[in-house]
Amino acid sequence: MTAVAADPSLARPGRGWVLACLYPLVALLVALFVAYPLVDLLARAVFADGRLSLGTLLRLLSDPYTLQVVGNTLVLGLTVAIAGTILAALYAYAMTRVDMPWKPVWHFLALLPTISPPILMALSLILLYGRRGLITHELLGMQTTALYGYRGLVAAQILSYFPFAYLLLLNLFRNLDASLEEAAGTMGANPGKVLTTISLPLLTPGLGSAFVLLFGYSFADLGNPLLLGGDYPVLSSQIYLTIIGMYDIPKGAALAVILLVPAVLLFFVQKKLAERTAYASVGSRGSTQHPQVRDRAVRFAALIVCGLVSVLILMQYATVFAGATTKLFGIDNTFTLRHFVAALTTSRAALLDTIGLAVMACVASAVVGVLIAYFVARTPMPGRGALDFMANLPLAIPGTVIGLAFALAFNHRPLLLTGTALIIVVVFSVRSLPYATRSGVASLQQLHRSLDEASTTMGATSGQTLWRVLLPLVRPAVIAGMIFTFTRSVTTLSAVIFVVSPHWSLVTPAILSQMDRGDVGEAAALSVILVVLVLLVIHGAPRLLRRDWRDRS
Amino acid sequence: MDILPAKTLEIKGLNKAYAMRGGRSVPAVRDFTLRVEPGEFVTLLGPSGCGKTTILRTLAGLEEPDEGQILLDGRSITRLPPHQRRIGLVFQNYALFPHMTVFENVAYSLRIRKARDEKVRSEVRAALKAVDLDEMGSRLPGQLSGGQQQRVALARAMVMQPDLLLFDEPLSNLDAKLRVQVRGELRRLQKRFGTTAIYVTHDQDEAMSLSDRIAVMNAGQVEQIGTPEEVYARPATLFVANFVGQVNALPGRVLQRANGQVTIEMLEQRIVVPADRCAASEVLVLVRPEAVRLVEATPGRLAGIVEELEYRGDQIEYRVRVGAMLIVAVEPTLGRGGRVAVGDRVGLQLLEDALHVLPAQRPAPGTPLEGVIRDATLG
Repeated sequence: MTAVAADPSLARPGRGWVLACLYPLVALLVALFVAYPLVDLLARAVFADGRLSLGTLLRLLSDPYTLQVVGNTLVLGLTVAIAGTILAALYAYAMTRVDMPWKPVWHFLALLPTISPPILMALSLILLYGRRGLITHELLGMQTTALYGYRGLVAAQILSYFPFAYLLLLNLFRNLDASLEEAAGTMGANPGKVLTTISLPLLTPGLGSAFVLLFGYSFADLGNPLLLGGDYPVLSSQIYLTIIGMYDIPKGAALAVILLVPAVLLFFVQKKLAERTAYASVGSRGSTQHPQVRDRAVRFAALIVCGLVSVLILMQYATVFAGATTKLFGIDNTFTLRHFVAALTTSRAALLDTIGLAVMACVASAVVGVLIAYFVARTPMPGRGALDFMANLPLAIPGTVIGLAFALAFNHRPLLLTGTALIIVVVFSVRSLPYATRSGVASLQQLHRSLDEASTTMGATSGQTLWRVLLPLVRPAVIAGMIFTFTRSVTTLSAVIFVVSPHWSLVTPAILSQMDRGDVGEAAALSVILVVLVLLVIHGAPRLLRRDWRDRS
Repeated sequence: MDILPAKTLEIKGLNKAYAMRGGRSVPAVRDFTLRVEPGEFVTLLGPSGCGKTTILRTLAGLEEPDEGQILLDGRSITRLPPHQRRIGLVFQNYALFPHMTVFENVAYSLRIRKARDEKVRSEVRAALKAVDLDEMGSRLPGQLSGGQQQRVALARAMVMQPDLLLFDEPLSNLDAKLRVQVRGELRRLQKRFGTTAIYVTHDQDEAMSLSDRIAVMNAGQVEQIGTPEEVYARPATLFVANFVGQVNALPGRVLQRANGQVTIEMLEQRIVVPADRCAASEVLVLVRPEAVRLVEATPGRLAGIVEELEYRGDQIEYRVRVGAMLIVAVEPTLGRGGRVAVGDRVGLQLLEDALHVLPAQRPAPGTPLEGVIRDATLG
């Protein structure tokens, strides 16, 4: 290879064999780690005693209890999706269109839940409103279990997941072409008419998208239903109890399939909606300079919404922090660091494993994601459409289902991965692959093909073009994707709960089991450590990396 | 469509500054005053950032002025919100509503004003017919070409029978050929409906061919308001001279004033111009390239060496070195293409009728005079 490269006369343009060899490898990886576990899971649900039979599924679907669980899941999802979308829309509107002080603070606080494990919400809600909660028991003197069940789940899931909808709508509100609203104004429409005839119709697909997104998150959530569900079982917690508690794998698999079907349907709905939002955003020469509403009443209302939500979120984090630094929260409130010490000693392995495996997953999903993005956006490889579809599929699948599918599919030779570190890395990577691929495809599509052609005419192979020209240009997107993978990996519970093992423990399951044992202080301390770690990575990594680049140039 | 009587627009002492970060404010428009007669087509011409778009948006009610008044037929509309103004604005990116058909886009203002259905139908049809798009009513804007979208935007602004029609660089997203074609249509429609119109552009060709009058703007202020001929032939400042076309600006000195005539020494030549064109003693003599003729280099005549020559098909541009200066001359080709070559010594004849004299001590705001002269002469 070096000999060839040393002789320029042998360097012919158009050699793409490096990438050509990588294509089947990447395709194989995706088939093995995305398609195979899902097919295997489906097979378990529809095969009984080696024969195709829908018996297990049908029996489950005629069982009143299962039907009630499915109904619960749907009702919870609908509530969270409706309330969360409204809240996110109000928040995004206030942030983009109302002249309001301290916007960076409201933004930061609203985004905090996107980077913390969802069980953190459950933990702090229990500390505040639980049987011995600070507010319900200590302040109000109540002895109540009202938190456990539907109400608590709605509160926890809205607080945990509305920020994702807020982010989606924030971009949409920002990118809505301002001149459309101005044009309507000059044609005689008052602000109310502008809202109903122009802004809302243009935002409808986006609002639908937020709704579907929240619905999906609610479906996939495992931590909150386990901790707060009480006598309100939903599908994800039911799968967990069926597998872990009853060890009924066919039934668990069938339940997972029941959860999978609506999740995949939602995925397609959201894809359609996302395509329709495209036309509302700014075209070639539109304007995103939206006038800010200065009306006193509106400003006041906006401040109330953002302030209240922010205070609620802040209260959750403050509570967890307090829980981590007091001997026994609500009972013995003396300051102590012993929970942190305990967390850093007894859970040290879990912390280190989590960080190490998440970093490996970052690299893996970035590499595979960029390669898939390149094949999809830049090459005429046969089957690249299917590859793209497969790489995006994990987006549609609830974490519980992925985790279960992996644990079952790789539980026997020759692919015995259960219990190893590799299965955790692969689960992390597969879950983040859609984001890595999509951001890669998006940023490659923004680069004109003439760049590739220029590179090729100057004698580069397609591999060299990717490495020397395209990769440096899409690097910001890749870095952002890696940070995202890291965040998602260290905070997920649902995806890893079936693949952790005594050898390889992770932080979120550790928090869950500490909560089960009643070790609230240590659970809180671990949660705080996790949030701080993620904040450090999110804010530190880009800065570090940027300095690195400057030094080299 | 009935045609309403056109209105007079008066803008008085308009001032607008933008607040920047750190509490500073940057003036965008300074003391802008303009009177536009009923049915008149006035263009605000200037480089980007000169404040022309801010003025337009203030007229539409999309920005509030810090000071000043906007009057339509003597009635102040300065503080009215946009939807109470009845002013049609054609946006640079057309701002067609992507979720409505062409028909519904044009019908929008009528529907907002709760017009009856048959009235909506007949007026929209008439407006679409006026821009030759009567077949396209059921399409979505995304299915139209740029030129067609442009015309829908125009029809949409016209159908509301605005008191004032505003154009914000409406042709800048079209390709060159289409731009020329659409601007002709635009002018015809405006004349036909007789609506008072303000047009904003940075393209001097567009301004020249469309306008009754042009206001040339620079750094938030008006440099000159006049007909296209006035602005081109008798620019008030060097900035205007440069912005509306290529110009040779030759420094000169007044030698003598007598009998309503002024003698100016320039490039070791003497020229005589009427006194009313010149009051200062140090002057700049402006001459457009097409007013410079290449002639035989006879003794005593202004002469120089041809340094560059650019063949343009219908014209040839010569750059002739005279001492430290390059003088630009443009001649129609007329089959004499090969008459002069690079390196030839040629005489230069300046058409005296086309000379325009400016006092030298008034540089364009914010521009050092030396730089301007160099830029002007080196093209």
